[in-house]
Amino acid sequence: MPSGALTDERGVREAYAAHSAELFGFAVRSLGDAGLAEEAVQETFVRAWRAGERFDPQIGSLRTWLFAILRNVVIDLSRARAVRPRVAEEGAAEPSVEPFEKALLAWQVEEALRRIGDQHREVLVETYYRGRPYAEVAEELGVPEGTIKSRVYYGLRALRVVLEEMGYDE
Amino acid sequence: MTSESCREWRESLGAYALGRLGEEERVALEVHLEGCAGCRVEADSLRSVATLLPHADPAHFEQPAPSPPADLGSRIAATIGAERHSRRRRRRRWRLGVGLSGAAATAAAALLAIFVLGGGQGAGPEQHVAFRSLPPGVKVAATLEPRAFGTEIHMYVSGIRSGTLCRVYMRGPGGGAVSAGGFRYRWGGDDSAVLSAALDLSRAEALIVHAGKRTFVAPLGGATALQQSHTEEETT
Repeated sequence: MPSGALTDERGVREAYAAHSAELFGFAVRSLGDAGLAEEAVQETFVRAWRAGERFDPQIGSLRTWLFAILRNVVIDLSRARAVRPRVAEEGAAEPSVEPFEKALLAWQVEEALRRIGDQHREVLVETYYRGRPYAEVAEELGVPEGTIKSRVYYGLRALRVVLEEMGYDE
Repeated sequence: MTSESCREWRESLGAYALGRLGEEERVALEVHLEGCAGCRVEADSLRSVATLLPHADPAHFEQPAPSPPADLGSRIAATIGAERHSRRRRRRRWRLGVGLSGAAATAAAALLAIFVLGGGQGAGPEQHVAFRSLPPGVKVAATLEPRAFGTEIHMYVSGIRSGTLCRVYMRGPGGGAVSAGGFRYRWGGDDSAVLSAALDLSRAEALIVHAGKRTFVAPLGGATALQQSHTEEETT
């Protein structure tokens, strides 16, 4: 059995310890509900266990594999949820996969922004997300404007490194 | 171009990637980029990071990441343990079930049951039942096979909430329902359940599935007709 296999309960426990926080964080972001996210994460690990023999670390990481399973779980769950209020409606559109990919991207970038240094995140929030002038933020923080500029630079660099670590690929 | 001057330019590359350099500074930087491949590569790389920023929402990332409840791991372990256990039990019960029903029926029927098991073939034509007018995303289907003990039912369900209890009945000629037992639907894995009802397939008028609060009914009209002609052939 290859290492990292999920065919036994120990393998599942180890995988859970390593990846559950990320999977849960993303599931909450994607489903917008902590209760449903719990259900989705539980279902992901149960399916992973059932299909444990099919996991091949030569092909991809365990994390990638778990996210692929979670993707299917979230789509099933969204579909089941979409069904409920529209039982009578005929020919309702299948929920598309696209919102999932969008949610995954959003979650990855948000998670990366959480992980960079506080000072870097702060200047990106103030100057980019709130659109404030560099000079104004510099004055508020009591630093030269050049410092704001360099923090923006190092912040973007840090973001790039974290995204690479998280396995983000364009 | 000294690395010292590159260092100064580079600290402007973040603001440049986000379109926040003043006109004069931007033009000067672009002149530098024309002649400096290293800074150009860095600028391109930062620009692709910058294009990701609009996807994030500060309302989310300014909050700490939500963490799963402390007992979720043990709940998952318990679910897996229970499933492992019930898989073993189901296999055992299936063997036992066929044996018992064979004993309860006549000797001929018992022989037939053994034949059916051994040969892997049904005692008659199997029937595929499709449930119609289901809510979108929900699939319910069944395959019915006549057996010596009644009818074997293979239920396929998908698209309903995981954990939903499904109870299956067959309606007989007098309108009475014969229970075929139930199962709990779980996402993924094997989504079919094998059930049995002590009602001959030829006499069944409908297959009824209660899934949670919903009820799905599939008439077995075709089945009856088919079985009737079959019976007529036998009697003539």
